Amino acid sequence: MTSETIVAGHGGQGVLELANWLAYFHLLRGRHVAYTPSYGPETRGGKVKCYVVASEDPIDSPIVEAPDLLIAMNLPSMDYVPLLRPGGTLLVNSSLVRDGPGRTDVTVERVPAVELASGLGRYVPEGGRDPSIAANSVMLGAALGLAREGPARTRATVEEVFRHYLTDRKAAYLPLNLNAVDAGFAFVVRSLLPA
Amino acid sequence: MSDVREFLKGNEALAYGALRTGLNAYFAYPITPSSEIPETLATEFARSTFPDFRTFLQAASELEAINMVIGAAATGAKAMTATSGPGFSLKQEGLSYAAGMELPLLVVDVNRAGPGLGNLGPEQTDYFQATRGGGHGGYPTLVLAPSSVPEMASFPALGFDLAFAYRTPVILLADAFLGQLKEDLVFPDVPSPSYDVAWAATGARGEARHVLSSLHLELADQSRHSRHLLDKRTRIAQREQRAEEVGTEDAEIVFVAYGICARLARRAVRILRSRSIRAGLLRPITLAPFPERRVRQLIEQGRRKFLVVELNAGQMVDDVRLAAGGAANVELLGEMGGLLPSSLDLVRAAEAMAR
Amino acid sequence: MTAAAELYEPKLGALPTLTGTPTHYCAGCEHGTLTRLIAKAIDELGVRERTVMVSSVGCSVLAHEYLNVDAVQAPHGRAPAVMAGIKRVRPDLLTFAVQGDGDAVSIGLLELLNAANRGEPITVFLVNNAIYGMTGGQMAPTTPSGMVTTTTPAGRDPVTTGPPIDATRLVAAFESPAYVKRVFLPILPTPSPRVFNARGALEGAKAVRHAFEVQQRGGFAFVEFVSTCSVNWKLGILEAKRYAAEVLRPLFPPGLYRDRFAVEGR
Ligand SMILES: Cc1ncc(C[n+]2csc(CCOP(=O)(O)OP(=O)(O)O)c2C)c(N)n1
Ligand code: SF4
Ligand SMILES: [Mg+2]
Repeated sequence: MTSETIVAGHGGQGVLELANWLAYFHLLRGRHVAYTPSYGPETRGGKVKCYVVASEDPIDSPIVEAPDLLIAMNLPSMDYVPLLRPGGTLLVNSSLVRDGPGRTDVTVERVPAVELASGLGRYVPEGGRDPSIAANSVMLGAALGLAREGPARTRATVEEVFRHYLTDRKAAYLPLNLNAVDAGFAFVVRSLLPA
Repeated sequence: MSDVREFLKGNEALAYGALRTGLNAYFAYPITPSSEIPETLATEFARSTFPDFRTFLQAASELEAINMVIGAAATGAKAMTATSGPGFSLKQEGLSYAAGMELPLLVVDVNRAGPGLGNLGPEQTDYFQATRGGGHGGYPTLVLAPSSVPEMASFPALGFDLAFAYRTPVILLADAFLGQLKEDLVFPDVPSPSYDVAWAATGARGEARHVLSSLHLELADQSRHSRHLLDKRTRIAQREQRAEEVGTEDAEIVFVAYGICARLARRAVRILRSRSIRAGLLRPITLAPFPERRVRQLIEQGRRKFLVVELNAGQMVDDVRLAAGGAANVELLGEMGGLLPSSLDLVRAAEAMAR
Repeated sequence: MTAAAELYEPKLGALPTLTGTPTHYCAGCEHGTLTRLIAKAIDELGVRERTVMVSSVGCSVLAHEYLNVDAVQAPHGRAPAVMAGIKRVRPDLLTFAVQGDGDAVSIGLLELLNAANRGEPITVFLVNNAIYGMTGGQMAPTTPSGMVTTTTPAGRDPVTTGPPIDATRLVAAFESPAYVKRVFLPILPTPSPRVFNARGALEGAKAVRHAFEVQQRGGFAFVEFVSTCSVNWKLGILEAKRYAAEVLRPLFPPGLYRDRFAVEGR
């Protein structure tokens, strides 16, 4: 099984981190991973677009041309919706994007990432930044919710991801980010329940 | 350490690969998209984690850097520099001198786009400069082309092995995509080799002097030396052609691609085979010597169609055509400017050729 | 090309650090003098087996044929970088280069000044003959204004080519160099026809030794030798010496410009 994801947004939204964390999550679950940060001509005008490929088998190409999942952090990211594989999923930051995908052969999950993160002020360290910076972790949680690998295993692995990357000064933000992942995960799992 | 799966950028993996094979000295001038190499090495140098790593120095220019590498290499040290196109141009002078003096050293070029300043996207436009030898005078070249992050990590060891075996500079030609790409990898747990450096200039004991010079004022001397270098080039060409192949046994069409393009071609092979077109891939690992023997053998075995995919206006395609000698149809799919062709571009071009 | 020429015969004499190979230097050239001074200093310090010289590009390009030590060839102007590379991995070695003014002050100025600024423990001997000797007498960065060369047939015009560059003061402008010295090397005629003033060579001998000692103590050492190139100046050997004394010496005043380790005493 190979999963291919595009994560897109603009500079300052933590898009690179989100994509990197997602890739490392898969690595910790024993998969081969390839993560391509924005590079070269793609990075003009603050646009950020990353590829994440995860697979049980060695990965042929790290370039994502027809993603199973598009994580759209802002409106310009919706430009990549036409790339989505039929049956793929659009995970959209509904705090910033109101538009629909304009196609019917994909599943849409709308996650108010900024609002969900903003409600987590109590996990921000003394004198720290606005909790909305954890919107990317909310989206990570949402993406992992869609992957349905079970809440307990998912959480344990996410903790390991954060312990790897949130070190030194960033360590103080571990509780905020973990809770943001939980919030995104719960939001998606709830919405996936039959009404 | 051998079971630890790491997750590193190509540039970082290359730096660690070099350290693990016993790198002694690194000198370079910063340039995107290769900067993670000096940044990683500077960090590890400050931490003193690798006892063999004696020197890290940011030079004042690529000229200074390559000449520092020459000085260190002349003492028998494992010395390396890394750069991208604009800096690679400046290193050509040093490469010519190093090859003339028969010094083993490693130069990494993380190829970016365009002549002049261009941009930071990937290209493979330094192929000619690397494989033909962009410096003056004529000398053997040895160019390795990694195609994945694990190879970015393992090729410094291969590069030093070859550099010391033949006493000649080795170029590791990567591209901006591979430099930035992160993949999982496991570092092999192999001890760093030590090489025979009896030729090194470390002081004359008794009458045995070590004079490393490329100056041969007597025409006959220079002629002898040039012939010696030519012999070396021939030996390298005979022994060191390396390539990886996918599905070439029965292929009706064979992609020839290296670096990031080989990754696209792998995918294209898979798609084409799912569409009942027997595609294959010949991936040169050594660009110099070019694996022309394999091209000829494949033609002898009945392969008649080759589609070269590269990020330039057609450079490696010349080598494929030379090897084919008119006995096969060799076409080019080139892209430039930092853009990549899509795997579907490859599929369509292959389908058109297969027809 | 008579009496004085014999003082500068191509044979440098016998010293352990001299190979005995006859030099290609023109009669009367200070390149020959300096080669001998270097050999003598290496012998006196007993460092021949730890020395790796770097050959630069200019009339000194073949110096390793005369000096019986290990050698590495640098591209034109890059000798300080090659030396830095050697010393960074092998601080126990002694390394030096004899650079011309074109080599060090024109094409290799970046390498010279950056090595100086980093205080690399290396030794640079600059032979300032105010011209490109090896390539046949073109303008050098040190050529005095008004001097006729093959590329300044009407004399060097400082308006279009800039005034001559003072390398010693440039190097001394940095804080890091430990030893910066300028020596006027040519012998000078005296009123008595068979007697010459060889003070320059004596001073030069001391300066070479000091420069090596400074390197052994971890410092960057730079010695500029104001020299002649009678062939390309198109003067007789003695005329060239006089010209050097009259025109070059005031332009490039000899002296001690830096002595951080006080190797010359207080
Ligand atoms: C890159 C390069 N450019 C030019 C030359 C030709 N060249 C050789 S020596 C030299 C200048 C020599 O003058 P200088 O450095 O003053 O040394 P001198 O012979 O006067 O001692 C030049 C221009 C060269 N060898 N390499
Ligand atoms: S050309 Fe000038 S510098 Fe060169 S050896 Fe002759 S006199 Fe000396
Ligand atoms: Mg000169």
